[in-house]
Amino acid sequence: MREESMISKGNSLNLLDAFELILESDPLIDEVGFIHPSQFVTLNKEATSSLKHEDANFWSRDHKLAISTDVLLPLYKAAKDAFMHAISQYKRHGNLSDASGYASNLESEAMKHSKALLLLSCDFGTAWNFRKLIVSKKQKIMLFLDELLLSALVLSYSPKSEKAWCHRRWVIKMIAGKCSTLQDIAGKESELVEKIAERSKMNYRAWNHRCWLVSYMTTEQVLHELKKSRNWAGLHVADNSCFHYRTRLMLRIMEEHCHKLEDGTSDENNEIYQIWQEELDWNEALIKRYVGREALWLHRRFLSLSWIRHFTTTLGDTSNYRACKSSINGGIGIFMDNELHLANSCSTIPDNDFEDFQAQTMYSATYILWLTKQISDSQGIELPEKPNHGSLETMLNMACPERSFLWDILTRITGKCDEVLKENNC
Amino acid sequence: MGELVVDKHVKYILSVEKRKDSFESVVLEHLRMNGAYWGLTTLDLLGKLDALDSNEVIQWIMKCQHESGGFAGNIGHDPHLLYTLSAVQVLALFDKLNVLDADKVANYISGLQNEDGSFSGDEWGEVDSRFSYLAICCLSILHRLDKMNVEKAVNYIASCKNVDGGFGCTPGGESHAGQIFCCVGALAITGSLHHVDKDLLGWWLCERQVKSGGLNGRPEKLPDVCYSWWVLSSLIMIDRVHWINKDKLVKFILNCQDTENGGISDRPEDAVDVFHTYFGVAGLSLLEYPGLKAIDPAHALPVDVVNRIFFQK
Repeated sequence: MREESMISKGNSLNLLDAFELILESDPLIDEVGFIHPSQFVTLNKEATSSLKHEDANFWSRDHKLAISTDVLLPLYKAAKDAFMHAISQYKRHGNLSDASGYASNLESEAMKHSKALLLLSCDFGTAWNFRKLIVSKKQKIMLFLDELLLSALVLSYSPKSEKAWCHRRWVIKMIAGKCSTLQDIAGKESELVEKIAERSKMNYRAWNHRCWLVSYMTTEQVLHELKKSRNWAGLHVADNSCFHYRTRLMLRIMEEHCHKLEDGTSDENNEIYQIWQEELDWNEALIKRYVGREALWLHRRFLSLSWIRHFTTTLGDTSNYRACKSSINGGIGIFMDNELHLANSCSTIPDNDFEDFQAQTMYSATYILWLTKQISDSQGIELPEKPNHGSLETMLNMACPERSFLWDILTRITGKCDEVLKENNC
Repeated sequence: MGELVVDKHVKYILSVEKRKDSFESVVLEHLRMNGAYWGLTTLDLLGKLDALDSNEVIQWIMKCQHESGGFAGNIGHDPHLLYTLSAVQVLALFDKLNVLDADKVANYISGLQNEDGSFSGDEWGEVDSRFSYLAICCLSILHRLDKMNVEKAVNYIASCKNVDGGFGCTPGGESHAGQIFCCVGALAITGSLHHVDKDLLGWWLCERQVKSGGLNGRPEKLPDVCYSWWVLSSLIMIDRVHWINKDKLVKFILNCQDTENGGISDRPEDAVDVFHTYFGVAGLSLLEYPGLKAIDPAHALPVDVVNRIFFQK
């Protein structure tokens, strides 16, 4: 029994050695995956260049690495034990002077094992932390950039790895002050997210990373991103994250615009008005082309509400409050008429009962109700007229009789309007 | 529709710990502390916490404490707020908070608060509104909220609010039901729910219910049992839970059970795990399913445990 376990331990160590040797011999590996050993044969047939490594456990060629699912358990155990042992040694002796080379040897051992471990267990925080510790001690740009490569490699097999994305943000923050190419990095990061989002749909972590990057971008980059991501969004209309990314970019543009208005460095709304108008038109076209997509209608809620807030309330100045109000109301009135027209045109359920058309009817009805509620809740914006309870009710009845909360809201909106009307009459 | 197979779930949870034979089970050992919280809270909700030796668990938890005061996910690993809250929650389940040096843990947590009121998850500085919840919930359980700057923490969370009424990881981040639970929970514990637009957020959360009765965490996603907890607890905290169809949700969760071997999965017919087993049972508890202990939507602990923490002495 004891002999058997020693043999298997020895095998695991050989396995780890072989794995680490492959990683060392090709530092440019950019993709790793776990595959069933039977798939190795298929890989060999497809590959074009000469084989870099092949045995029953690993396969590597063209900077791609495959690990057999048969060896994952022993390989993981060996990598974890080796790493945990190495860091405990390092913690005990790591503060020795470097003269002996002993400390630096311990350090490179632990770095080597941490890499092997992270390629098997993507969220092993202690291994990521150790790498941060070593790299921040050395403060060399090249080493920081190596960390970006490693985390990209981890993301190639685990695109949702929270710790791998977090490691990238840490690296970027570390080099932010030292590196003149920060904007380049932000641009490249954004491309990486797009590449990963293509393979891993609705990846919250990836898109969250892209949203985080926005604060590191120049105004030109933000505009460029808005232009670039439009194509992708048009091809992935169910990916809410991409539309949220556009929201983030547009809010940043709006923010800068408002600063300029305050500073007096600009007094025109044209450019930003145009951005919103284009987005509204494009969104409408998508809504009509891709029937019943929730993300498109939610994006429209954002676009319309901010349109109403920014382009109908900033008309006129406060000294001319009354005149301003009436023009607001007029502005909202026209805007809402157009939206109602769009919603009505999307509410016709054809004879067949395709789910998509039912969904479209529901989203258009809830869209109108949502917008009506937001306007009636906003201070300083009054509904142009009492919403037609009857027609909203008919729409909801047709679209989603089971969503009880909407009835609750509808009753409250019309109740509130009745109160306002009463007050005005007094 | 079947019923909740309580005994099988208890058996399943007790068996999870013993499984060391697959890559999938071993590779998650770095978050064993979270696993302990999910498994043990489920047992308590089912009224079966005495099915295992509490001393053994407590000894192991204390071995995971770092000299900084924070807890790691397992012995020898680095500490993080994620595991610190789980450790404190499990000790609370067993009524063993007295084994802790509460000030030491509280110092670790308050040391992670940043100038803008946000919290880092550990010394390496990643910021996330989830970490604000972990810190606030943990300090609340330890009666040490005065150790942090509550006002700044609340303002930071409020800055993560979106136009749709939801909350993201950081200001400008996409709304996600899990993040929303964290932000609403933190605001509830600190008495700051006035920062939430309840109708607007309630609306967004109710739209997470799909035809099958299950809840998703974001638009266009498939339903998943774990959102039964995140969406429901948020709806309860903002007093809008009557807006969803509870019966359909109960059915959806019950359909995700493995009625033969116990455990609950993300969706019907998928493989079970302890994470979804906890969220399924906790969701049913919020839905007042008969025979389950009630759970507190903000502290994510059984109500009797929370009452013991705040009203005893």
